[in-house]
Amino acid sequence: MSPQPQAAVGAPLSRVDGRLKVTGKARYAAEHEVNGVVYAVIVDASIGRGRITGIDTSAAEAQRGVLSVIHHGNAPKLPYKDNKASNNPPGARLRVFQDDKVRFHGQPVAVVVATSLEAAQHAASLVKVRYDAEQPSTELSKGKPDKPTSYARGDVEAGLRKADVRLDLTYRLARNHHNAMEPHATIARWNGNKLTVWDKTQWVVGTQTELSTVFDLPLKSVRVISPFVGGGFGSGLRCWPHTVVAALAARVAKRPVKLVLSRKQQYFATGFRPEYEYRLRLGSNRQGRLIAMAHEMEHETSSYETFSEGVLDPGRMLYSTPNVSQAYRTVPLDVNTPIWMRGPGPATASYVIESALDELADRIGVDPIELRQRNEPDEDESSGLPWSTRRLRECYTVGAREFGWDRRSAKPRSRREGDWLIGMGMAAGVYHTARMPAEAHVRLDADGTAVVETAASDMGPGTYTSQTQVAADALGLTVRTVTLKLGDSLFPQTPPHGGSMTMASVGSAVLDGCNQVRRQAIKLAIEDKESPLYGVNADDVVVRGGRLHAKGNPTRGETYQRLLSRNDRTHLESLGSYSGAPSTERHSLHAYNATFAEVAVDAALGLVRVRRVLGVYDAGRIISPKLAESQAFGGMVGGIGQALLEHTVTDHRDGRIVNANLADYLVPVNADVPDLKAIYLDGEDREADPLGVKGLGEVVMVGVAPAIANAVFNATGRRVRQLPITAEALI
Amino acid sequence: MHPFTFTKASDTREALNAGRRGRYIAGGTTLVDLMRETVERPETLVDISGLPLRDVTVTKGGGLRIGALVTMSDAAAHSKVRSLFPVVSEALELSASAQLRNMATIGGNIMQRTRCTYFRDVTANCNKREPGSGCAAREGFNRTHAILGTSESCVATHPSDVAVAFAALEAQVHLLGPGGERTVPFGDFLLRPGSTPNHEQALTRGELITAVELPALPRPLKSGYLKVRDRQSYEFALTSAAVALHISGGVIRDAKVAAGGVGTVPWKLPAVEKHLIGQRPSESLWAAAAEKATEGARPLKHNRFKVDLLERTVERQLRTVGDNT
Repeated sequence: MSPQPQAAVGAPLSRVDGRLKVTGKARYAAEHEVNGVVYAVIVDASIGRGRITGIDTSAAEAQRGVLSVIHHGNAPKLPYKDNKASNNPPGARLRVFQDDKVRFHGQPVAVVVATSLEAAQHAASLVKVRYDAEQPSTELSKGKPDKPTSYARGDVEAGLRKADVRLDLTYRLARNHHNAMEPHATIARWNGNKLTVWDKTQWVVGTQTELSTVFDLPLKSVRVISPFVGGGFGSGLRCWPHTVVAALAARVAKRPVKLVLSRKQQYFATGFRPEYEYRLRLGSNRQGRLIAMAHEMEHETSSYETFSEGVLDPGRMLYSTPNVSQAYRTVPLDVNTPIWMRGPGPATASYVIESALDELADRIGVDPIELRQRNEPDEDESSGLPWSTRRLRECYTVGAREFGWDRRSAKPRSRREGDWLIGMGMAAGVYHTARMPAEAHVRLDADGTAVVETAASDMGPGTYTSQTQVAADALGLTVRTVTLKLGDSLFPQTPPHGGSMTMASVGSAVLDGCNQVRRQAIKLAIEDKESPLYGVNADDVVVRGGRLHAKGNPTRGETYQRLLSRNDRTHLESLGSYSGAPSTERHSLHAYNATFAEVAVDAALGLVRVRRVLGVYDAGRIISPKLAESQAFGGMVGGIGQALLEHTVTDHRDGRIVNANLADYLVPVNADVPDLKAIYLDGEDREADPLGVKGLGEVVMVGVAPAIANAVFNATGRRVRQLPITAEALI
Repeated sequence: MHPFTFTKASDTREALNAGRRGRYIAGGTTLVDLMRETVERPETLVDISGLPLRDVTVTKGGGLRIGALVTMSDAAAHSKVRSLFPVVSEALELSASAQLRNMATIGGNIMQRTRCTYFRDVTANCNKREPGSGCAAREGFNRTHAILGTSESCVATHPSDVAVAFAALEAQVHLLGPGGERTVPFGDFLLRPGSTPNHEQALTRGELITAVELPALPRPLKSGYLKVRDRQSYEFALTSAAVALHISGGVIRDAKVAAGGVGTVPWKLPAVEKHLIGQRPSESLWAAAAEKATEGARPLKHNRFKVDLLERTVERQLRTVGDNT
């Protein structure tokens, strides 16, 4: 942090963009007003694999208002140059309308462009596509896995042999979809060879590079604008085919084109958290000290791209274990490509590891918290690096006290209220602290207000607000006099808005830029004979409320306004930057949590009702406590969904997603969300980044599902090794 | 959505005239959804929301007549519905969401179409939507589908909650058509799929539902509705039970029981009722009676659990209603 007083950082502010949002003035992707816009609707493949043998567009084209129907038979060939600077997984990305192959159910096979949305929708339903259909392969258990990514330390098999207690457990996790409130949407407009796109994305820079490579345009010829994102959870971390479809349609129709995916289309036009099968073999001594853990996990990916995620980290570093092996396999299937979803990797691994630890605790009769304490490592055993900060023990202690863990009976089925069995469970959570290079432009105007521009997104965590807080303190301004501008590829570059790295990365760049501007102003003042601060040492000047003054003497000073106008300066500006994580880390950096859940289970009817959830977080410095609390609540709600409700169902006969809507794909509603409480341990991580933050958007979801699953076991004595836990598993 | 014409009927006669060639629409909460999916493709919509069918009245014997255009929320909150037939209020309040209940009407509710996801996906085979095309659900993902009243052609459930209460209470449906008025017992109004799952109600072309009448039943009558579902609100039933018991002198004199979420139509349970009548309430009675609920059940691959769950749901609701008497 800067030597400045911290007035805004740490204050529980409401969202600075709250008024815009509740008055509808915050413009989301499909809401931007673009003159002359026409509407595009995608026709989805109704087979899961095969070839298109014919497309009859006559009925569609005969509709009034239809401008064009584009498909592989008439679409311009697109360059699709390699894109190395992207989140595209290894493989060959889906090239829209470039061949007759159908690779998954729902793949775009045509797009209708019309002067009204209604005409485009109706015409799309009239496009007749004939197929030569083949049997798709969409079942994880029946696919042929790729070669594994492996890891080993010690000798796992020997470790398991000498263990007193051995568990061999296989867990299954359903496919989950992000289901953000805002649908994915794109407006594309060409001006000659220049392309402007308003898009729902968590990374305007990523969409910019993707479109520039797809159409082989200079990067500067593509501008991507996305000031507000109505929820993302990861689904906006890469540029999806429909965004290319919108740009292609706009080029063919020679009009700006708006394309909004239907709710149903979100289930196959964008990615998902893949379905997993995860086997864990675990050995410990009688006291529960872990000796060996062997992880074998596999998950689905598409036939054309190999998606992977950071599922290996927790198994290597969360608990002290001398012997660890991991084999991670992707299984190519006739599905679209998955993508990261909140807590990607650890949210899956922690369900398995934390459930298994609960099983071990039950087996050897040790309290689950005590078991974890016994296996607390002194360093990161996978790298030998010291922890930057690791306060998991404190998380356990605070959590146990606040939750009333002592009221839990170790014996399942011991607490009953009428038809309800009551149980408590807990789990640890972890997510690595990532940082990447970022830049931010800061301008302080002569009227004493400042504008900060950076390409980062705000998908809901409150980036506008928290970055404003950082900037306000570093500039010595009030929050009201600082304006953040986000989500435009013309602004200085930032990494993807995901992986809990926005505050660490972008925040550090904002801090740097603001520090530079403040120092410029201080230099101007102390070298200006007419300034009351003339001759004061630069380090002895602070700025508060837009007024520079000598540290021990608040009366000696002047405002930015006075200083700049006297010096005929319209503004001061700077490009702040942050270089990201060092090329060689000297510490192992992670955010942690201990999550506690209490559930009531009606065992006769198979109903699980979450009563309470508590999360205690070691996430470094908390910039914006009110928003951090909202983040934690959101993570808990996501975890309730993962544990009890969320399950994308595929009909393996033809690869269709059966429940591609919000009536059949269940997410928690208000009634499912009980008493939630979030506690952030006070502190900072000086090794992580200049702000001392460790990231929190991901870690808050990790650990919630296993805490609930463990509570279900404590309530019922029944161990369900499959998510979501539904009635049929309990009755 | 396919193009359509829209007319608003200002009185019943106008509605009946227009109804011969069109589809009636009131709250539109089901129909508009299905039109968006192109499952429904009416050429003409006849808006009947202006017709005078919004009254709830007590009948001579002490039953209730609920106008077809009474909204779900108004019906649920009506003091007479609450006091005389709590099972109806409860079923309504456990349905859908507050927004939908404010729009949807009683007549529309019993006309709503199945939530079978294959029915709602026009690229899937469905005999209900496209007779003769086959049933994708029978061998597909059928966790939420019916175990009772199914046929080779169709295994879809009727989604309504309040219809389960109506079936239990043996309501009457009042109809008005070009040929005049008639009354159909609720149990005959909704049709089992058989080989014609596209025929869902005993309605003739252009006929209009004017009211649902709940009969006068012997009092005291205790009643209630239990809905079992994965999430706590805004979801259709996995199983449900509507129970009404008339107990006097410590003996069950009359029992009305039906189940939801399990049948191709709301599933009246006469065997359960018969088992209860003349008996004294007891835990063992509830259990023995509930065993009869699953007679004839034919589960599918993913809904086997519904057989047990149905029995437990009925047992629980018998106990809940019966023990409070």
